[in-house]
Amino acid sequence: MPGRVLVVDDALFMRKMLTDIFSQAGWEIVGEAENGEQAVAIYQQQRPDLVTMDIVMPVMGGIEALKAILQLEAQARVVVCSALGQKHLILDAITAGARDFIVKPFQSDQVLEVAERVVAS
Amino acid sequence: MDKEKYRNMYLAETAEHLQAMSEILLRLDNEPENHHEIDALFREAHSIKGMAATMEYAETARLAHRLEDDLDKCRKRGSVSSVEIDQLLAGVDLLEALHDDISQGREERRVETYLQTLNPQVPSDVPMSQMVPEKEEGDQIAAEPLLVQIDLAETVPVAAPRLLVLLKKCSDFGTVLKSWPSLEQILNDKVDARLLVQLRPRLTRQEMHAQLARYSDVEEISFPKPPATSGLGERRQKSASVRVSTERLDQLINLTGELITTRYQLQDALKQQHVQGLDDGVGQLSRLVKNLHHQVLQVRMVSLRALFSRLSRIVHDLARSSAKKIELQIDGADIEIDRAIVEELVDPLIHMVRNAVDHGFRDKDQGVISLKAWRDRDQVLVQVADDGSGIDPQTIRRIARERGLLSSAQVKTVRDYDLYQLICQPGFSTADTVTGISGRGVGMDVVKTAIEAIGGLVLIDSTPGEGTSITLKLPLSLAIIRVLLIESAGMSMAIPITRVIQAVEISPAEIHSSGKQLMVHYQDAFIPLLSLRKILKQSKGTKKDSLSLVVTEVLGRRIGLVVDRLIGQQEVFVQRLAPPFDQSPGCAGGTILGNGQVVFLLDLQSLLERRKKEV
Repeated sequence: MPGRVLVVDDALFMRKMLTDIFSQAGWEIVGEAENGEQAVAIYQQQRPDLVTMDIVMPVMGGIEALKAILQLEAQARVVVCSALGQKHLILDAITAGARDFIVKPFQSDQVLEVAERVVAS
Repeated sequence: MDKEKYRNMYLAETAEHLQAMSEILLRLDNEPENHHEIDALFREAHSIKGMAATMEYAETARLAHRLEDDLDKCRKRGSVSSVEIDQLLAGVDLLEALHDDISQGREERRVETYLQTLNPQVPSDVPMSQMVPEKEEGDQIAAEPLLVQIDLAETVPVAAPRLLVLLKKCSDFGTVLKSWPSLEQILNDKVDARLLVQLRPRLTRQEMHAQLARYSDVEEISFPKPPATSGLGERRQKSASVRVSTERLDQLINLTGELITTRYQLQDALKQQHVQGLDDGVGQLSRLVKNLHHQVLQVRMVSLRALFSRLSRIVHDLARSSAKKIELQIDGADIEIDRAIVEELVDPLIHMVRNAVDHGFRDKDQGVISLKAWRDRDQVLVQVADDGSGIDPQTIRRIARERGLLSSAQVKTVRDYDLYQLICQPGFSTADTVTGISGRGVGMDVVKTAIEAIGGLVLIDSTPGEGTSITLKLPLSLAIIRVLLIESAGMSMAIPITRVIQAVEISPAEIHSSGKQLMVHYQDAFIPLLSLRKILKQSKGTKKDSLSLVVTEVLGRRIGLVVDRLIGQQEVFVQRLAPPFDQSPGCAGGTILGNGQVVFLLDLQSLLERRKKEV
């Protein structure tokens, strides 16, 4: 069940990959952000069904942005996106309220599985 | 009330009451109208209830109260039915499980299910709710706690975050009471691929299953039953405290008193340069130290009674479930042995008893199992014997040949007794079919490994049609053992005496050769000779007029170990080697002799196993 998604990552390459995966599966990309600050701003305007959030980003990091988004909307569905070695950051993010996580490098079906599951819940 | 302070005392006492309850119940099984026993049983339940209520262990108190109620009815009626005995035994099992919960600091498991199976129409917990405050958090409609077990696929790259997400997911299902690993453990990445969650669900199992199945990282979802009534296979918790009789303590105090006196004697004799006085004092001292050592060891000693009563319970259950009539004869339950050894005996003996019921009476539906313990000098022997079908030596011959354990020449010459020892080889099972009771691949090799790890020996004997007996030869204590000191290439080494069948001197003329293998005739059989120098890769020795031989049993076979010299027997205090030296194969520990010399304890089994691998 595709929905509306906001993709947040400081690397253009990662944003491109994620937006491709989502649009091919029929999702609507409501926006792309390259740091946490942008992400919060877009979230406030668009209220997407799902946010994929990189954790380590300049200006405002993913966990801080996650908390800010949850302040805006407690039910916000945020999935963090992180590299294998950053297990503790992922744990912190889930503790802070992230619904699920995606480990980089990822396969498109893994991303969609997580996205669909989170949106369905 | 500071409950913690009394917890150990509570645990020790209830353990005794629980054991007494099992024993009485098993006796009642034979004599269901013995009102003394019923009275005694009632009092035991009553004691547990009282203690548990004081300690605010609500579930234990509630269950004990229920058992007490039921027993009161039996008491008035003057008899207990066999159905009731089984129910009561299950109740005692549950009390033991609760005892485990408490001893491990877990929340008590719920007894509701058990109480309902007992007698659904009688609500018995009315007086309990007045006696023990209910700890419910106002959530009256809450369902029975349920266990959800989630196993991750092996390929999951990061388990901890996945488990954290799943744990949060479970909190959508209902109230999470507890989880293994706990939240803290997950956050500290102390996880493996399994999450077990105890929760009061608001959803059905199907609903929970469907939601969890959406995670492709999850390989298996199950709802295991809490291990409430199956405390049998579990190892009992090692008790943290020891109860010592005041009599024993007094003996220790007296001995210390005498030691102080002896010290003054020695100091006086030294001051006066009085040699005779010094001599007397040292003599006195060695007597006292020996005595003290003996007394301190006594503190560690426990009788086999608790273990035996647990085994009789297992026999009872197995007999019931297999519809066989099995009488259990127990002898020597008062024999005492180091508690550390008793702990190691639990699993092997359970296995042996199961074997006896299952294999021993494969073709019969009634018989006698005897469980016997006795002392032989500084060894304790424990024997499980049955009068069942016995082991057919021909079957073992066939399997031994099929699996390459013996050559066809060996198959012909091997004695039946030596043949029986082969059933301890890994993977050896003579059961044609696997049953629920035993024969599931974990066989006598596990028993043998466990017994040898504590310096014991397993001896198997059987007569087809008459029965099988398995005897464990055990040291009295783990720390202090009797050893045979031997010498090889100028090095002294020790072999536990329990591992030695005999130490003999032979003349070279007695040696026969069979191909490359040297053999010697020992008790109407030929046993192979192995040189310790060769095994330890030491230099070759010179030819001598006589050979020193240690006859021992390794990997199920008797061998003659050729050493340079037999030095003699001695009691030694064995210490484990510090890591990484404890990993060295062939060395089971070390000890310091009176002259300051360090001597290593040989573990022939691992030494020869390693050699086998190298070959």
